[in-house]
Amino acid sequence: MELQGQNGLLATFREPWRTRGGVAYAVAGALIGFYTLLYFRDHLGVAGGALDPEAWAAALGLRSRWLLYGALYSLAMIGGAAYYLRRHGNARYNRWRIGVNVGVQVVLAFTLPLVMPYFFTGDPGQFWKYEYYFSYFWPLDWYKLHPGSLQNVPVVFAIYSIVGALVAAPLLAYFYGKRWYCSWVCGCGGLANTFGDPWRHLTSTSTRSWRFEKRAVHTIMFLAIASTLLLFLDHLVGDRNATFHRLIDGGQWWSMKSLYGYVVGAILAGVIGTGLYPLLGPRVWCRNFCPMAALLGLFQKLGRFRITVKPDMCISCGNCTTYCEMGIDVRSYAQSNESFTRAACVGCGMCAHVCPRGVLKLENAPKLQADKKRTGLPVVNL
Amino acid sequence: MRVVIIGNGVAGIEAALALRAREPAWSITIVSEESDHFFSRTALMWVLSGQLSHRCIEPHERDLYARMRFERVRARALGVDAALRQIRLAGRPPLDFDQLLIACGSRPRPGPWPGAELDGVGAFVSLQDLEWLEAELHGGPSRGGRPPNPDAHVALAPADSPYRPRTSLRARRGGPPRHPVVIGGGLIGIEAVEVMLAAGLRPRFYVREDSFWPVALDAREAAVVTEALRAHGADVRLGEHVEALVDDGQGAVGAVRSDAGEEPCDLCVVAIGVEPNTGWLVGSGVSLDARGGVVTSERLETSVEGIYAAGDCAAVRWFDGTTRPEPLWYTARAQGRVAARAMLGDSVRYDRGPWFNSAKLMDLEYTTAGLVNQHMEGEHNWFFEERREAGGALRSTLRVVLAGERVVGFNALGRRWNHAVWVRWIEERRPLGWVLDHLAEAAFDTELVPPLVIPREARERAPERPATRSNEAPVAAPRY
Repeated sequence: MELQGQNGLLATFREPWRTRGGVAYAVAGALIGFYTLLYFRDHLGVAGGALDPEAWAAALGLRSRWLLYGALYSLAMIGGAAYYLRRHGNARYNRWRIGVNVGVQVVLAFTLPLVMPYFFTGDPGQFWKYEYYFSYFWPLDWYKLHPGSLQNVPVVFAIYSIVGALVAAPLLAYFYGKRWYCSWVCGCGGLANTFGDPWRHLTSTSTRSWRFEKRAVHTIMFLAIASTLLLFLDHLVGDRNATFHRLIDGGQWWSMKSLYGYVVGAILAGVIGTGLYPLLGPRVWCRNFCPMAALLGLFQKLGRFRITVKPDMCISCGNCTTYCEMGIDVRSYAQSNESFTRAACVGCGMCAHVCPRGVLKLENAPKLQADKKRTGLPVVNL
Repeated sequence: MRVVIIGNGVAGIEAALALRAREPAWSITIVSEESDHFFSRTALMWVLSGQLSHRCIEPHERDLYARMRFERVRARALGVDAALRQIRLAGRPPLDFDQLLIACGSRPRPGPWPGAELDGVGAFVSLQDLEWLEAELHGGPSRGGRPPNPDAHVALAPADSPYRPRTSLRARRGGPPRHPVVIGGGLIGIEAVEVMLAAGLRPRFYVREDSFWPVALDAREAAVVTEALRAHGADVRLGEHVEALVDDGQGAVGAVRSDAGEEPCDLCVVAIGVEPNTGWLVGSGVSLDARGGVVTSERLETSVEGIYAAGDCAAVRWFDGTTRPEPLWYTARAQGRVAARAMLGDSVRYDRGPWFNSAKLMDLEYTTAGLVNQHMEGEHNWFFEERREAGGALRSTLRVVLAGERVVGFNALGRRWNHAVWVRWIEERRPLGWVLDHLAEAAFDTELVPPLVIPREARERAPERPATRSNEAPVAAPRY
């Protein structure tokens, strides 16, 4: 039979490691420890010791700890993808989505940055210029549109950075929803949907968490855009205004560029965003803090992507809401026969996949057509 | 205005919400014997398997009652005094009302065999049934969310209450059942079987009829489902009639005796249908029909002015013109809304429209619309089995039911379809050729699933007469 839905029952809430049992706390502790070492290695005094990620990378013959991180990241995604596909690989959408996402990680976010420098330069001091990650765009990769980065990387890469972030990403989000990025390309989303998949039901669906999400994610988006503009301003007037330059890009821990890197890049995306997978679900970063998710969400909201609801067929069981990793109360729309587009939705398709009545369908359709399908159970007014 | 609603289920809560949306000042009291919080009854199987937690199946946040100022009373209603306009409650003073909505739902039909009241025998319909089966299969409730006090009323529950707690035999048995049995070849039956299979048990499944779920599936479709059940390890007994449940000597079930012999059993889920939970209304002046359904008018008012009924307990007009209770989720929701509007004084009429439904039978998705398996005059069926390649594995089935030239029903396994489009075609009186030409418009498969392709020879195949069921006279062709 053509299986599109949940194939067999899950035992999610009978498994302590998936429902905040002791093992979940242990895994979270280990992840937080790992990310703290990775990002704050220079501040923790571990350099040269047994806990130095640079030393681990060197022992494996890798140029830096970031390539070691890329290797571990790819392995975690491959392992997680195997776990996910064993449960949900019966649906074509899931197979393709996870396959492409893992492929992008292994090829564009690990192999190419690893080998590209050797093709372009013999000078190890220049390697960083060619360690280019094609699968990350501004404002998620906030550094990509910095005046410094644009000037220093090869011109082709600079054009790719600009066109990718400012033209291609928003356009694709308009036509296909932000899922083209968040669930098919992005490494953060990819890790969440593979390694993080066992914990997707832990994302809070409460109204309070939605309120927090809207405030937090749009604040970070604003900060990402404003700080980028400030860096350009600094590039133009920094030579003449030493205080301004110190505040923006002075290299101290409290200068804007370093602060953004520590708070958003290291703590929110890494330590908290991934470390709390086993306790708060795999999309803590994507949902609450990712500036790119927020920006693409706005284009999605204006665009063609939607989740179409079949009228009157919903039995309010709550599978969709429970397994939504972005904490969207899908059931509330389904039971009121309301086709909808939520800015947060990353289009992973799991709501449609776990729906026992086939009520939900992800679509890229002009709005009119979906509305035409909306008919309710007739209640006759006399 | 004091409104009392008996029942915290989908009909009751929909009515309460509709009333509150229009009347901020009315006093609305919801009486429930079963649960503190409204939950989705149709989702019990996922809680039992562990796919959802108790909290997951509550469609609203738990502050709903406070936010909407619904007063909650946990008690069993014992009777209505139509003259005094009072509800009598077990263990509590009576409640006064100006308008009353009876939305007390249905109760499982008890097994008609000797031994049906033994320990280890029960239904799978209420929250208390869920608790009992969670204890039997898993040793306790799942993680992630407190159950909504299913035992708050225990001291006051009469012995015949469908919401009484049941004793688990797990401790005596020393583990999960070794010979679990499910009786009744319908939706709740197959759900119980699926959960047991997922828990690693191998249930025996007694289906009285010669094929699974004959009101909805024809023999070919039922065979697909039966095959799926057997492939997953269920012991399916078609056409086997249960005669008695046998005592193990300690007051618990020890075996099932059927017309094919006696076989061991240490847990028995009886799923042979539901009946209106209206015994408490006998003698109250509210008229009940022969099946126990509360007799209602078009606007869902009962025989007593100001008393309304909605949901499983109400006898309403069906799509085929008969009047009887309709135990379905979406109709209960619609009835709750209509009853609320009637209570608000609107001129409103409950109009059910054509039949449609869907289900998941093991891992097979099932969608239906219109008149299927109704054994109509002049009925023909066009049936198509989609295969991966000629002679290969089955991918989906589609049956289009015709009355004369006109398409009147659809039945499909394997693929997802938009029943609303099908219903529209039925109302538009489309012929078979037109329907097959436009099928893609009703497709609701998830993305990247290849569309259904019907080869020319299958398209041109003449629809066949259905196998007649000898014990039934044909019904008239549809009027809508």
